[in-house]
Amino acid sequence: MATATTLAETTHQPGSSPSGLLVVLTPLPPEALEHTISNLAAAFEGIPLQVASPDPLPPVVSESPEFHAFTYTPAAPTPGGWLLTAADFLNSYKLLQEHGAQCCLLLGPEAQSIAPGALSSLGAAVLSGSADLAVPRYSLGPRDGLVNSAILYPATRAIFGTRARYPLAIDLGLSRKMAERLASAAQKFTAAGQNAGLLWPVSDAAVAGMSIVQVEFGSRALPPPDSMDLNTILAQVAGSLFADVESKAAFWQRARLTSSAKPAAFSEEEISRPELPDIQPMLESFRLAYSNLHEIWSLVLPPNSLLGLKKLSQMPPASFRMPDALWARIVYDFILAYRLRTINRGHLMGALTPLYLAWVASHLRLSSGTGQDGPAAESHIEAMAAVFEADKPYLVSRWRWPDRFNP
Amino acid sequence: MGQQVGSALAESMHRVMVKLVSFLPGLLALLIGIVVLTALGALLAVAIRRILLAARFDERFGRTQSATVADIAPAHSPTLLISRVAFWACVVLGVVIGISAFDASYPGGTEITTILIPYLTHSIGAVFILLIGTVLARFLSRSVLIGAVNLQMQYARFLSLGVKWLVLVLTAAMVLDHLEIGGSIVALAFGILFGGIVLTLSLAIGLGSRDLVSRSLEKNVDPAADRPRFDDIPPPATKSRESLRHF
Repeated sequence: MATATTLAETTHQPGSSPSGLLVVLTPLPPEALEHTISNLAAAFEGIPLQVASPDPLPPVVSESPEFHAFTYTPAAPTPGGWLLTAADFLNSYKLLQEHGAQCCLLLGPEAQSIAPGALSSLGAAVLSGSADLAVPRYSLGPRDGLVNSAILYPATRAIFGTRARYPLAIDLGLSRKMAERLASAAQKFTAAGQNAGLLWPVSDAAVAGMSIVQVEFGSRALPPPDSMDLNTILAQVAGSLFADVESKAAFWQRARLTSSAKPAAFSEEEISRPELPDIQPMLESFRLAYSNLHEIWSLVLPPNSLLGLKKLSQMPPASFRMPDALWARIVYDFILAYRLRTINRGHLMGALTPLYLAWVASHLRLSSGTGQDGPAAESHIEAMAAVFEADKPYLVSRWRWPDRFNP
Repeated sequence: MGQQVGSALAESMHRVMVKLVSFLPGLLALLIGIVVLTALGALLAVAIRRILLAARFDERFGRTQSATVADIAPAHSPTLLISRVAFWACVVLGVVIGISAFDASYPGGTEITTILIPYLTHSIGAVFILLIGTVLARFLSRSVLIGAVNLQMQYARFLSLGVKWLVLVLTAAMVLDHLEIGGSIVALAFGILFGGIVLTLSLAIGLGSRDLVSRSLEKNVDPAADRPRFDDIPPPATKSRESLRHF
């Protein structure tokens, strides 16, 4: 019977080869922790497994002799946000070194909602040695993870040539090599006192030429963001992605889409056509922004995009549709403006919010029951990601020659 | 009589010419100081940029630092930041040397030393205030505009313009005060203008959110108002919007 032990008791002996799987958990309430541990024990029966939690463990965690759980004190204080942060990556690598595991799983908040089957698939992907980074593909409803669908997924796919559907770091499987790379990236943040800094493991893996596997994860309760204010969170997450794109410019300017990656099959939830929610407030927000922020947008967007936005602002709600090509250009131009500091970065991200809401309105209309002529949610996102890929030469060209005229 | 007037004019002209001639070397020294140091600064900036680019300073710096200095650097380049700092440091040094040379070319207590030198230094200060004020006005007006639009305030542009003019009026008053122009008239005019803008903004916001305030007051005064009314019940559309998950 395995019980909770302290960090010192389980320290790995130097010289012995790394083996088994280490699961690193983020802070969880006692009941959630107990549930997560029982799920882990069920998922990895017969596999040497170590579970590290920052919280006190329940008295009896598993009957299996292969199972070992312990409490750890984070080397870098974790801010305990809704995503995995720089401090989490640094702590995980230290634990991996100390406990001599072959690979590790990092499970984010609300980990108790992950099914044992999903945990098992994620662990198997890194334990088999076939992947350095295993990323989950959550089954999201058509109204969930909209920022991910609008910006994070298509931009990451086109720019870094990977097809990870959910690039935000919530749950991850890491090989030792990948954990080391992410820890060194995280160290830059923690050294500057930014323990809550966001990392983009998918782009890091792509740059390092490491193999990425996407694992079907099913549904999972996604942790709610720290702030309920869309502007703040959008600026934080999209800004972090734009900064990551900037820092890896030398790589992505020559990156091509990986041919081995194949699109995943859509779940029932994803191909369903739900009833159209009220998009009127989003349209009003966009129209108000069009009449007020035109001057700021004109500093960032080329005349062609502004013309597209003008047409969009005059469209009736019943036929409101933002063309994918226009949205791709908008995102690319905002990435360029972020890099060139055309305007203050806080202002830039604030000016993106109404445009994003216009995209959401258009996407919801397309993927709802009323938009029968258009594709369902997931098909639309895949089609849009393909447009992002096709338009990547525009980004590369303007990145290299920003002053060249672009209509 | 005519002879006396002519003689007075000639003497006056002579005095002015003498002062002008004695004034020119100091002015020349001031200009030379600024021009030479500016040219030196430009050369230094070019040299620094070339050396740092050859040494791949940006890449090395990026590897060791995450986002601190690079964030405030123009075009995200620490090399450009260093070269520009060097250039502007030389320009400021040139101005200081020029003023000092200008000051040294006159004996203390002369009219020019007591009036012109302090005025020159005040003018430089005023230019700085004007620059900072203009930049701040633009920054704040954009912040207010974007924030108000994202909060779906219909009077976002009006609010942003109000903030912009508040800062510009304040800047103008500070510049005139620094240059000692206008005296109490500036302070009075500033008070009236500033107060006027604040009152206009308050009225606009107050009138704009009249319904909101009256509903809030009704709720506090009349407990019956707590009961849901038809116009208080959110339409089903609002509910469906809340079911969206952006992350």
